[in-house]
Amino acid sequence: MKKRVVVIGGGAGGAILANNLPLEDFEVTVVDRSPYHYYWPWLLYVAFRGSRRPMRREIESLLKPGINFIQSGAQSVDLNNRKVVLEGGKTLDYDYLVIATGSRPTYGQIGGHEKAVEKYGDYHSTVENAERVWKSINSLKQGTFAVVVGGDPYRCPPSPLEGLFLAEEFFRSRGLRDRVRVVFAVPYPRPYPAEPMNEVVEPLLKERGVEYITFFTLDRIEDDRKVAVSMEGEELKYDALVVIPPHVGTDVKISPEDVLTTDRFIQADKYTNNIKGFDDAFVIGDASAVPVAKTGVTAHLQAEVVAKRLQGEDARNNGRTNCPFDLGYGLGTFVISDYRNPVVKLPPSRFSHMAKMLFAATYWDMVRYPELWNPIFEAYFDATEPAKLARIYV
Amino acid sequence: MPENRLKVDARGIACPGPITELVKAYRNAKNGDIIEVMATDPGFKPDVEAWIKRTGNQLLELREEGGTYVAVIKVTAKK
Repeated sequence: MKKRVVVIGGGAGGAILANNLPLEDFEVTVVDRSPYHYYWPWLLYVAFRGSRRPMRREIESLLKPGINFIQSGAQSVDLNNRKVVLEGGKTLDYDYLVIATGSRPTYGQIGGHEKAVEKYGDYHSTVENAERVWKSINSLKQGTFAVVVGGDPYRCPPSPLEGLFLAEEFFRSRGLRDRVRVVFAVPYPRPYPAEPMNEVVEPLLKERGVEYITFFTLDRIEDDRKVAVSMEGEELKYDALVVIPPHVGTDVKISPEDVLTTDRFIQADKYTNNIKGFDDAFVIGDASAVPVAKTGVTAHLQAEVVAKRLQGEDARNNGRTNCPFDLGYGLGTFVISDYRNPVVKLPPSRFSHMAKMLFAATYWDMVRYPELWNPIFEAYFDATEPAKLARIYV
Repeated sequence: MPENRLKVDARGIACPGPITELVKAYRNAKNGDIIEVMATDPGFKPDVEAWIKRTGNQLLELREEGGTYVAVIKVTAKK
């Protein structure tokens, strides 16, 4: 008898997991509310480069033949009785469950946030909002452009600074840099929260004349006065701004409820991705509360670990991150760390930027054909282990 | 209103850093609440000290137990 695997979510984690399971042994069903899988990192280039490159594909086209796809949201999950109820009432029974529902921005925590997004856009939610950012930076001819980290967590730790770097490059390339002030505000003690990576990026901010405000925990946006106000009452004046929205976890009703954190991320073992207290249910990627960055690479590596575990192998996560980081002007770096090693101080290079773009170009193929790409990624991850890189980049 | 005690387990977080977990708890806290953060990242100690100094909240305790830092913070600076 084939084991029935239900995967909720057809994004990076869910699709890669499904494609890694041998269909002789598993009956795999992927459910997703949307017919589309989005390559979210591209919102950055829609927002700050005006890119029109399509950034979504049909989920069905990314799954191997033989995998069932149901376009429906999951309404509730009953972990004790191994049942998933879909919107519309259909029930799926499973032997194994994988939740890969990602995270989503929330606009209720910061006063005036929703109105600000309607006006200036953002690049963590929708293509439409990213297009608003592009319009907003194109119409700003003088004054202050601010990027404000609104709260944690959010997808892709480097993304706030990536937007800032690309905006700075944009204004400079338009000859407006002497008239447009570029400001960055974060709630952390330094521009990038992890110290070693901050040592890479802070000199670039100084070199490019970007101002930054640390320890700024955004409380509200008063757009009539054009100020962002911190929780301690500090004010930041702007003419256009982009707020990085704090994200929350799944909107699927999950029983028992105590597997969820207060912001609806699902608690799991950081090595195996087993949902707390369940050996037949897993959570991968952004939806989980495990202490790793919310990024596609995490979802990808966790998907491979869970696929192996379902096949009886004792595979474990090592907490590896590998976040591509666009530094503007054709430069890039990667945020590389794992559970045992702190972030590597990888210097800016054209090669890292090229690697980021190469990855974006091959993304769909990589999701669809893990049998071809897994060995390539394994070789890459092995060659770039943080413990090895830390000996080179001190 | 009664004060809450919010526990934050940031052990094992290197990227983006345990300070982000503190900020998350701070956002949802109100004056009078206690936030207790556990972290293993060695950068956490100077970070939490700098955060206290700049935001004006109160550090009740900062101790190390077998490689884990525990910071107990009283939220007092919210306006």
